[in-house]
Amino acid sequence: MRRAGFYIVLGAAAVAFLYPFLWMAGTSLKPPAEVGGLSFLPDSPTLENYRLMWVRAPFGRALLNSLLVATVITLSVLVLGSAAAYALARLRFPGRRILNALTVAVLLVPAQLTLIPTYTLIVELGWVDSYAALIVPFAFNAMAILILRQFFLQVPRSLMDAARLDGMGELRILFTVFWPLAAAPLATVGILTFMGAWNEVLWPLLVVRDEELMTLPQLLTVFSLGGGAGPRQLATKLAAAMVLVVPVVAAYAFLQRYFIESMASTGIKG
Amino acid sequence: MASVSFEGVRKEFGTTAVVEDFELHVADGELVVLVGGSGCGKSTILRMLAGLEELTRGVIRIGERDVTGLPPRERDVAMVFQDYALYPHLTARGNISLGLKLRKVPKEEIERRLLWAAEILELGPFLDRRPKQMSGGQRQRVAMGRAMVREPAVFLFDEPLSNLDAHLRGQMRHEIARLRRRVGTTTLYVTHDQAEAMTLADRLVVLDRGRIQQVGRPIDVYRAPANRFVAGFIGTPSMNFLDGHLERGDGGLVFVSDPGPDRAPSGGVRLRLAPDRRPDPAGHRGRPVTLGVRPEDLAMVDTAGPAALRGELVLAELLGPTMHLHVEVEGRRWIAVVPSGPPPEPGAAVGLSIDPERVHLFTAGGASLLRDGRVV
Repeated sequence: MRRAGFYIVLGAAAVAFLYPFLWMAGTSLKPPAEVGGLSFLPDSPTLENYRLMWVRAPFGRALLNSLLVATVITLSVLVLGSAAAYALARLRFPGRRILNALTVAVLLVPAQLTLIPTYTLIVELGWVDSYAALIVPFAFNAMAILILRQFFLQVPRSLMDAARLDGMGELRILFTVFWPLAAAPLATVGILTFMGAWNEVLWPLLVVRDEELMTLPQLLTVFSLGGGAGPRQLATKLAAAMVLVVPVVAAYAFLQRYFIESMASTGIKG
Repeated sequence: MASVSFEGVRKEFGTTAVVEDFELHVADGELVVLVGGSGCGKSTILRMLAGLEELTRGVIRIGERDVTGLPPRERDVAMVFQDYALYPHLTARGNISLGLKLRKVPKEEIERRLLWAAEILELGPFLDRRPKQMSGGQRQRVAMGRAMVREPAVFLFDEPLSNLDAHLRGQMRHEIARLRRRVGTTTLYVTHDQAEAMTLADRLVVLDRGRIQQVGRPIDVYRAPANRFVAGFIGTPSMNFLDGHLERGDGGLVFVSDPGPDRAPSGGVRLRLAPDRRPDPAGHRGRPVTLGVRPEDLAMVDTAGPAALRGELVLAELLGPTMHLHVEVEGRRWIAVVPSGPPPEPGAAVGLSIDPERVHLFTAGGASLLRDGRVV
């Protein structure tokens, strides 16, 4: 009996979370006449909204931009972040503790505070309307360093010793010994970084005006603001939103085993 | 193959010296075992030789070559670790061959050495398994295989058998001894297990607080410990110690114990030293000393007759061929190893005799007073 109640509550929560998403998915496939109803199943499904979205704004190009930017940022965060985490966790050098403390301190500063200085910097560098403006400020991430460092601290010292005796240098130890062991935390950092970069709206709005360089969420925002509010427009916007959401959901579904494993153990273990 | 020399080696962590004035020459092909309690610096010495730890002072040579400042990969040493340190994502084959691949050894040569090691260590059936799919003993063999195929100048073993159960430990000990006879590489071996130390070593190095206490053949260290630390450390159960002083009497030196916590009417222990523990330099009279008696040099005797020690049995541990008697004598605990028999009841009066030929004597500072079995 208690079990049944438990499932009812869980079911209700699931519906509350899923319904808007399903409604969005369904409505993106509806003809204008059906848009606005509560049902999410279209009576006569159509891909017209997707076609319209595609021809009215350069969403194809924006999709490629988003993929490029998010992928480069993710790879950079994983490579540079794990290198920094390795150094902070396993190498002895003067200033290591201070650097560690600084990394934590960076987390305490809200991103909104650094927005203006970073923007000024990008302008001074002449990077406005460039991929560099979209990528470089996010290519390095304190949270990634902390998560990976925490994991690297747990790798037995003897494994590093064995690798050194086998003739490996530090970079090789990092990429051939630590990386395979750290699949779970790397996946976690990868997903979080990719999602963050993929969904970022504010920053691209600041530094990119050229439509050719716009990312998907940016273009979607611009498109939504300028597109009017009729049922056809709404359905087209929802189609664009679907294009935005699907890759992230797919990535998560693919990597969730690592993600959950990592969240449950290594990632947050002190 | 090569000899190994430590010359005036010192290691400090922060302000604490963990290894001091370490001098040792290991001959080509020799197996030297470093023993000592935890924190005595034995693993640090091994790690310094491997290049995993920097020296604060001193020189380490492998053969004629000064390797003090060289990184691990240029030292031509291979190490077997207590926790095996196998790469979890590689198979046994991958683990064994990785070091050779990194050294750009030709493929056929890698395969030849791999098969050679697999044959000696009987690893054939496990070559394609990952560490997780292997037992502790199998993992340890893979770790040894990884060291062997490198064909290094020096083998280093850092407590390689500590993580195995007693049965497997005995078995692997024999394998290491066998391997050693077959390969004959110079080896430094760190352990705190006495059976390993006694059976494997050509020479034993006993360490305490970063300093060498004694170096010698295992049996010599056992029979003639250089000081009280070595006497107490080597041998299981530990040697019994009794503080007292030397007197002259009965035609030779006599050991007279200090009164124990429970002052006995008998006036403690008087033990006439065996004739070959003379002559009796006059300077020794009245000198405070510590008597050391190995548990196996005590015998149980009838309490009615003359006995060196009379006490009360606290505990009898039957181990099969022998039994350990824990006897309280004047407030001090003695342990005797005697042939198994019907054990006396706890609380029973027990008499113990001491073989005067086999006692040890130490100065108040802990140094042995015996040289070649004679008091000096």
